[in-house]
Amino acid sequence: MGLTGSGFLKLRAIFSDKPGERRWASCVAHGEERRMDELIREFVIESQEGLDRMERCLTDLESRPDDAELLAEIFRTVHTIKGATGFLGFKGLETLAHTGENLLGMLRDGTIAADAHVITALLDLLDGLRSILRRIEQQGGESCDGKQLQDTELIRRLTALQTASTEAGAGGEREQCAAPLAKPESGRSQDESETNKAEAHATFPDDARAQGRGQGAEIARVAASPPQSSAAESTLRVDVKLLNRLMNLVGELVLTRNQVLQATAADPGMTMLSRRLDMVTADLREGVMRARMQPVSNIFSKVPRMVRDLSQTLDRRVRLEMEGQETELDKSLLEAIKDPLTHAVRNALDHGIEAPGARLAQGKPEEGVLRLRAVQEGSHVVVEVSDDGAGIAVESVRARAVERGLIAPDRAAEMSERELLQLIFLPGFSTARQVTNVSGRGVGMDVVRTNVEKIGGKVELDSQPGRGTTVRMRIPLTLAIIPALIVRSLGQSFALPQSALSELVHVSGDEAKRAIEWIEDAPVYRLRGHLLPLVLLDCLLGAAADDVGRREHFISVLDADGRKYGLVVDGLADPEEIVVKPLSPILKSVGLYSGATVLGSAELALILDPGAMATMAGITVSERDNTGNRRDTDGEEASELEYLVVSVGGRQAAVPLKEVLRIEQVPAARMEYLDRRPVLNFGGRLLRVEDPGKRLHSAASDASLLVVVCSDDTRHVGIVVDQVLDVARGSELMEAGSESAIPGLRLLCERVTSVFDLDLLSGWDATRCEGFAQPAAKEPDGTNEPAMATSWRDAG
Amino acid sequence: MSKVPESENAKLIQVCSVGVGEELYGIPLGDILEIVGGARPQAVPLAPGFIAGLVHYHGDVLTTVNLRRVLGMPPAEMVQDLLVLEDADGPFGLAVDSVREVLTVSSADFEAKPSTVRKRKALFAGAFKLRDSLMVMLETAQLQPMRLAQLPEDV
Repeated sequence: MGLTGSGFLKLRAIFSDKPGERRWASCVAHGEERRMDELIREFVIESQEGLDRMERCLTDLESRPDDAELLAEIFRTVHTIKGATGFLGFKGLETLAHTGENLLGMLRDGTIAADAHVITALLDLLDGLRSILRRIEQQGGESCDGKQLQDTELIRRLTALQTASTEAGAGGEREQCAAPLAKPESGRSQDESETNKAEAHATFPDDARAQGRGQGAEIARVAASPPQSSAAESTLRVDVKLLNRLMNLVGELVLTRNQVLQATAADPGMTMLSRRLDMVTADLREGVMRARMQPVSNIFSKVPRMVRDLSQTLDRRVRLEMEGQETELDKSLLEAIKDPLTHAVRNALDHGIEAPGARLAQGKPEEGVLRLRAVQEGSHVVVEVSDDGAGIAVESVRARAVERGLIAPDRAAEMSERELLQLIFLPGFSTARQVTNVSGRGVGMDVVRTNVEKIGGKVELDSQPGRGTTVRMRIPLTLAIIPALIVRSLGQSFALPQSALSELVHVSGDEAKRAIEWIEDAPVYRLRGHLLPLVLLDCLLGAAADDVGRREHFISVLDADGRKYGLVVDGLADPEEIVVKPLSPILKSVGLYSGATVLGSAELALILDPGAMATMAGITVSERDNTGNRRDTDGEEASELEYLVVSVGGRQAAVPLKEVLRIEQVPAARMEYLDRRPVLNFGGRLLRVEDPGKRLHSAASDASLLVVVCSDDTRHVGIVVDQVLDVARGSELMEAGSESAIPGLRLLCERVTSVFDLDLLSGWDATRCEGFAQPAAKEPDGTNEPAMATSWRDAG
Repeated sequence: MSKVPESENAKLIQVCSVGVGEELYGIPLGDILEIVGGARPQAVPLAPGFIAGLVHYHGDVLTTVNLRRVLGMPPAEMVQDLLVLEDADGPFGLAVDSVREVLTVSSADFEAKPSTVRKRKALFAGAFKLRDSLMVMLETAQLQPMRLAQLPEDV
């Protein structure tokens, strides 16, 4: 509506958590150039905020027509606008607000009921007020001939509603609101016999001002009841530019701090000071970042109205549920997901939720449920739009994609369900049988994906035919900071966004010649039995490929939109959260870099673009998508189902893939023992090692060990394995008889496999060295061997 | 430094003189945001040759032009000085061998470049005739990286 992306951000004191108070206003997009009078500008911002709140209340009002609180809130908004306009001299706005106020007054007094007609009229009133405000904002005045006619029309409708309802009811009380307007006859007759008339309305027609005052007194009373209305006083509007500048300065401070910390590390007298500096800097950085955060409710609040309008157009019955509105997201990101969210909601209503009749026929409740949910998960915010509608029929997706020529028929025939669902994101795709004005033109999901990926997010789609569809958008918390792996090549550092990274392989100097094989001039690596095309970063960056195969290498396995390849780099540093700085056009035109960043060491690093590297190296979408081996990068949902299959002590075992950090090959001689428990020293960090297969006892000191390093967010554990077999998806095993899933066991690669439970491993400590040895695996009656349980018990 | 005869119409101009190889070049002081001594730009692989690299500057990452390469000289071995210049498209860096001094010169000593300057002529505005040498004035706007990329190499 009136909210545009640029402009001001409301910086708020942390305690004013009422969502409605935190809206940022937009009217100032052009404000500076136009030198809009400060007072009017303030008024427009306030009013737009009020109207946003009113919109939310109105849609709520439809489900709770008797809620006095809601009515009071709406009334207050309209009244505030009316009050200020009279004084600023916007006549049209005043008249419209006044008419609306009268109608609202009757609603509040119970003279008329808030039925669908009334609410539609009030929503129109809202739009009318908004459009006048927009004109004031853009042109500095409200005049616009065509619009004025529309407003008159609207006023007539609002007035008619009052009249109609009062005539229908016993009352016959008529408001004087139209007095200044075209329908004087409706204004004058005051029916004194109306007894349930509240004092504010029993005003005298000739004195509009007096009425204003009368209602004002009542407003004061209404306003006094909800205490949170004072939140406005603890907030402040701040130019986004200023916040960006602050953010930059904080970034610089962080670097200066790092240098100070390094310089003073040896001086004990400085320790306290530098620690303090460290803390203050960290707090400051967080504070500035928080100032840019806005609650998701800012965009969620647009949905109820949209759902209401759409469900009327499409003849659906929909209940909207929203969850996690207080979840916060960087302002620019919030702006960026507005469109995707709109599309997802439209899709859910048009293609998802069926018409009431069809729902009843399927035994579903007549009313569909559309659920919006926002939740923060680590450094991401997940925004979900789910419906309980028809779901997506995979077969019709297949047929449609072939029909539209998006994929070849033979390719379509062999695609898995999950892959087929992904087709929906292709441009030009739509399963809707007919194009409605709501959706079906085949741009929706494409737009969702493009917009979300533009800001470094991801879109996942889940659908069960007949049970509904969920669109899940995974958005990074801030645009400016991304997790990245720092790699080294050509003697300098580069940052590799972790979103594209699926795993890392270490190739030691001795193995390099064997491990990296060549097909003509193309290097490849056998990753669990499949050939992975390699891209040598230094060659890609223009260096000659002379000594490949003689040095130590790291292969970072990347997945850029399904193009899977291994990027060979010389070295790895720790992952870092990097602050993305834009590059100048000349360096952007190189085409390999998406930005630059300053590392903690004050060194500059270019941010590599995995997609661009793949393009430059000529990597195409891999042919063996269907082998089940393809690591789906679509995030948690997929990786939850995926396991790293290893062999331990001759048996097959598995670790959930999302818990695997890396796989290390270490010489047995490097293994050290603390109180007879094996540990590894990785660059000064101690890694606890578990040895369920008892390889440590038998391994010669020059043998090399495979250690799977796992993490459960809090602690890292290394597990010694014989061999890494595969990455596989697994299904749950049902216990015969009880038909409930057996925890700790999965069917992987057609074998019953026990899954390491990291919680149990992590729960282990020196005092309870036997306690951890109980894996969650319930031992089912002899059908499976509790592979890990016995060996772990011995390992302690 | 240079004693300029004060003629009637002559204006005094402040120029920063920089040394590149054996030559002396001048840049109007008004175009310079900041002078940074001893900067080491981070190389950008695959970038055009005249790009010295990136420099961290006030929380931002600054693209830096290598003046030696722009002028067709071999790259320098030593640590260079950096001028931060600004034009309409934002700030950029210019790496020079050394920043000498700020001179106040009279426009009376300025002469436009002769038509015989053919190589890279867009880069030069003209020259100030100092007592013992010429100070060739550079066109700041032409040094902007994007502009340089469009510049024909040796015409």
